[in-house]
Amino acid sequence: MATLHLLSHSPFADSRLASCLQLLAAEDALLLSGDAVYALQAGTAQRQALELMPGSIALFALEEDVVARGLAALPERLQAIDYAGFVELCCRYDRTNAWL
Amino acid sequence: MARSMLIITRQSPWSGPSAREALDIALAGGAFELPLGILFLDDGVFQLVQAQQAGQLQQKDVTANLQALPMFGVESLYAAQRSLQERGLDQNALSLPVEVLDDTALRALINRYDHVITL
Repeated sequence: MATLHLLSHSPFADSRLASCLQLLAAEDALLLSGDAVYALQAGTAQRQALELMPGSIALFALEEDVVARGLAALPERLQAIDYAGFVELCCRYDRTNAWL
Repeated sequence: MARSMLIITRQSPWSGPSAREALDIALAGGAFELPLGILFLDDGVFQLVQAQQAGQLQQKDVTANLQALPMFGVESLYAAQRSLQERGLDQNALSLPVEVLDDTALRALINRYDHVITL
């Protein structure tokens, strides 16, 4: 029973990511889109927090949002997806939790 | 069998429409007898403070309306222990009877619902 957590706000502007990280269960996954992909910015505490998640937690990001923002040196564990992949993931997990 | 939904509300009553919207979803769902739960998380626990006076800010009182939840059949009310502690709130002095849960219990809670939305 796993949850796909959807984040789309910048982790530098509010506490959604921090809260979400505290509630992640072992088999959950995180999908970053919009300004939430700034959490992947190298050399930040937010990026470090993502790297330190247990290996059982999958990390996804919407590729076009990552590329549009010029983010490089991405974490090895990151799986880039397109919108078709976004939909597929929503079906794969038992539920989604959109952090609106 | 109706599918269950957990509404996670994490904004104070004073930071825009979010707290009101979460309550509206809960009351509407409750009126249709959907199995609903509400989790007060982060600043959302400030909605549970007693003796708030929305009139001072010319606002409608969301916290008073929270009292309608049990009447609408929404009795699965939860608050995050960590959020209460961080904000210096006494779990015995809240305006609603909520079950206070630690992080481990919160993960289990989310897993019990078919749908989850965080406002």
